[in-house]
Amino acid sequence: MTIPTLSLKQTSLSLNGNAGRVDILHDITLDVHRGETLGLIGPSGSGKSSLLMLMGGLEQSTGGQITALGHDLTAMDEDALARFRRDHMGVVFQSFHLIPTMTALENVATPLELAGVADAFDRAAAELDTVGLGHRAGHYPAQLSGGEQQRVALARASAPRPDILLADEPTGNLDETNGAAIMDLLFGLRDRHGATLVLVTHAPELAARCDRVITLRDGRIIDETAQEAAE
Amino acid sequence: MSLPLAVKFARRELRGGLRGFRIFLACLALGVAAIAAVGSIRASIEAGLAQEGAALLGGDAQMAFTYRFASNTERAWMQDASVRLSEIVDFRSMAVVDRDGQAERGLTQVKAVDDAYPLIGTPRLDPDMSLPDALAGADGLPGAVMERALIDRLGLSTGDTFRLGTQDFVLMAMLAHEPDGAADGFGLGPRTLVATRALDGSGLLAPGSLFSTKYRLDLPDGTDLATTADSARAQFEQTGMRWTDARNGAPGVALFVQRLGAFLILVGLSGLAVGGVGVSAAVRAYLADKTSVIATLRTLGADRATIFQTYFLQIGLLSLLGIAIGLALGGLVPVLLAPLITGRLPVPAVFTIYPAPLIEAGIYGLLTALIFTLWPLARTEEVRAATLFRDALSTTRLLPPLRYLLVIALGLAALVGLAAWFSGSARLTLWTTGGLIGALLLLAVAAFAIRALARLGTSAARGRPALRWALAAIAGPREGAGSVVLSLGLGLSVLAAVGQIDGNLRRAISGNLPDIAPSYFFIDIQKDQMPGFTKRLENDPAVSRIDSAPMLRGVITTINGKPAQEVAGDHWVVRGDRGITYAADLPARTRITAGEWWPPDYTGPPQISFAAEEAGELGLSLGDTLSVNIMGRDIAATITSFREVDFSTAGIGFVLTMNPGALAGAPHSFISTVYAKPEAEAQILRDLAGQFPNITAIRVRDAIDRVSNVLAGLAAATSWGAAATLLTGFLVLIGAAAAGESARTYEAAVLKTLGAARRRILLSFALRAAFLGIAAGLVALLAGIAGGWAVSTYVLETDFSIIWPSAITIVAGGVIATLLAGLGFAWGPLAARPAQVLRARE
Repeated sequence: MTIPTLSLKQTSLSLNGNAGRVDILHDITLDVHRGETLGLIGPSGSGKSSLLMLMGGLEQSTGGQITALGHDLTAMDEDALARFRRDHMGVVFQSFHLIPTMTALENVATPLELAGVADAFDRAAAELDTVGLGHRAGHYPAQLSGGEQQRVALARASAPRPDILLADEPTGNLDETNGAAIMDLLFGLRDRHGATLVLVTHAPELAARCDRVITLRDGRIIDETAQEAAE
Repeated sequence: MSLPLAVKFARRELRGGLRGFRIFLACLALGVAAIAAVGSIRASIEAGLAQEGAALLGGDAQMAFTYRFASNTERAWMQDASVRLSEIVDFRSMAVVDRDGQAERGLTQVKAVDDAYPLIGTPRLDPDMSLPDALAGADGLPGAVMERALIDRLGLSTGDTFRLGTQDFVLMAMLAHEPDGAADGFGLGPRTLVATRALDGSGLLAPGSLFSTKYRLDLPDGTDLATTADSARAQFEQTGMRWTDARNGAPGVALFVQRLGAFLILVGLSGLAVGGVGVSAAVRAYLADKTSVIATLRTLGADRATIFQTYFLQIGLLSLLGIAIGLALGGLVPVLLAPLITGRLPVPAVFTIYPAPLIEAGIYGLLTALIFTLWPLARTEEVRAATLFRDALSTTRLLPPLRYLLVIALGLAALVGLAAWFSGSARLTLWTTGGLIGALLLLAVAAFAIRALARLGTSAARGRPALRWALAAIAGPREGAGSVVLSLGLGLSVLAAVGQIDGNLRRAISGNLPDIAPSYFFIDIQKDQMPGFTKRLENDPAVSRIDSAPMLRGVITTINGKPAQEVAGDHWVVRGDRGITYAADLPARTRITAGEWWPPDYTGPPQISFAAEEAGELGLSLGDTLSVNIMGRDIAATITSFREVDFSTAGIGFVLTMNPGALAGAPHSFISTVYAKPEAEAQILRDLAGQFPNITAIRVRDAIDRVSNVLAGLAAATSWGAAATLLTGFLVLIGAAAAGESARTYEAAVLKTLGAARRRILLSFALRAAFLGIAAGLVALLAGIAGGWAVSTYVLETDFSIIWPSAITIVAGGVIATLLAGLGFAWGPLAARPAQVLRARE
């Protein structure tokens, strides 16, 4: 039996807010295998994004265990998690999260630089070409449209050829046309690099393109469906 | 009718509280408080001087004369005008103590008094005794009291004897407090108080000796001081009488306090300008946060005027709050610290709330707030509804509309005009304003340049992520490089300039002189003592040069028949009495620049050779006639030559030299400067003082040290003013760092997501802060040196050289401060979990 790319065992997450302790996720157990595309769906506040953040080590669980590529994320400190992401993960957000003080090219080159890639900027430029933005390389995020910013974010996430791609509602802030284009790019990149993709979405047509879909409600998995991915 | 609506909107927005305005309020409050405090302390001292005028002066009025006692006519007038009269003789002398066959000598400022002294107040002596008892002496010797500094220097104890001239005195007590000390002004030595009658056999008050007399008058109740002063001046001013009365008991102190206060307020204004940069940055940050609100209001139909008024009202109200806090602090702190301040002031002060300095500080605060907030406020007009869908920063123009620029310019002109009016020195105000505007322009250019350089540097830094992020952050569109460089740079510039000016002034006085200055000034040498005096020195191989000259004092009363002050205004040459000499031959090392020196045997009408530079300033020409009053006698003389006189060498320099026939009849003594090797100085003093006990020796190094001590006090006061400016600069810096914290938190979260470790992110933040600090420090260095050079060269007229230790400390301070502020605000961003930060932005 192969080791899952991502594995969560009885993982839970609680946050302390002004209104007191809030339980976000309860006893989540699931495995994601190499090359698989997993869709996370559910109503707002069901814990989809939080689950994705735990998978990416961006949030620390309050219970259970999370392993990625055999490494225990829950045992790592902040810097070790950062280094793990640098070497193995790419993350795409609904709000793009480009660094406003950097140009598109610099944004894409940043993870490559962090990984010590010698030709970081050449590869970043090629990646921008791949998402159709080679001509906007010198532009700052504020000078790009939402669709363009998300394409830069995609290029940034995929540039280091990550083993795992995490995408949190990547089309949530985009219109239908731009959203469809981004999804084509995302799945195209996954296919090209053979990465494992975990995708949070509200869009049924996106979920339909995933190998497996997990539905969450109130922080619990209420349904899990393996499906024939529709291309 | 947009104003009522704007008031409603403003009120609603202010319900959010003052969050985000702490630095805004602190900058404005600190700047206003510094000015209000300086003004309040000045007003307190002025009130103290006015209230205690008679006590400070030691009488209701004083008539003073140089080198002579009052004539019978003058004495009769004074006795007629007053109910009590006291005569004081003031002169320098050497206090000599014989110990084990060796003589210890110390320069002292002697005050010889009569039985009526003091008319007001009581000297405090240690051990406690009355002044008459102390001056009566013991064991058949007259008594004296001395200041502690001289007692310590001479190693004296109560009951010991010492000598002034040829008269022995017994030290009866230490002079702990001299009631009229402040009115006597700057003395070259510590004070010794004796009875005038005890000096009869001392040989110290021979004709021609350098002394002054002061007659204190206790006037009948109800005497109108102004009328009495006018009457005295009309009769005796032409004979060199100087009048002072209780309306301004210590005029020198009052003038000093007034000028120092004006200067410190200008330093305070520099602080307010620094605060203005912070205020401007805070308003910009606030309005940037409000861009979506403004765009929404525009979407809903609000016109530009309504939007502008809404935010103008908010900022205006907050400005008033900041100014009010500043005024409360600046007005109350001096009152609360009164016991502490009074203890350290050599003059009386009445601490209370004075409206005038608070009004002055309030006006400065209002105008500064207007000047620095109008520019960012004007930008609210540019926010369009479409900004909701586009980044606001990419659409703003560089300059606001012309009408705002005009209002800013008018506000600036009003500020400068008022500062010139309040300070009483338009020249100093314009220099300060020019310096501040120059420094701000230089800093703005530097901020632009560092961003451009950072932009270029980002390519070169590829492969070094921490460095590249730092450069990208500085070059990028959102970083507060401008406000950091401007605020810290301006604060450091003011401090650097003060450091350079102070250092150069000290160097001018004490640093450069020893090579060219004489070792000793000898005064009160009688004419018959000159041959013996010269003989002792001429035969000494350690003496390289002796310059001697007759010394008289006189007042220039008329120039070409018109009152001198009418022609020459307030020029120092016509203010009070001046040293005058005579010479048959042109002295060595003297160069005639125009006209001709009189023949050695000239016996015709009196002629004058006038110092060329001062003649130019007074507008004098060859052939002009001057009337000079010497010892009560008017001498009319014609200017026949101009000559170069260098007053900076501490050697002998006279503005007026006359032919011998004009002055030889007047009683006078000689002065001499002696240039000798340091190791021979002590023996020269022993020999000459032993041979001529009446002669007073002033060691030039000691005199310079005493002046340097006074300057050190001035520099300390100025440094406090500059420190307030720097503190404001740090506040602005902290404000800029705090304002950028949210951006850095976000940046750190994204970088962590991409795999950056905290150490690397911290390094990037540190590099960013260090670059900005270095830029601010370097520009401050340049601006400070330029400012120091300008003030030294054109205002103080001293040579200028860069004081590197001070300059380097400033740059290092700038870098460290920026680094500390940057790192202080880095912990939050580094500690935040990426998920929370990023989701908060969703």
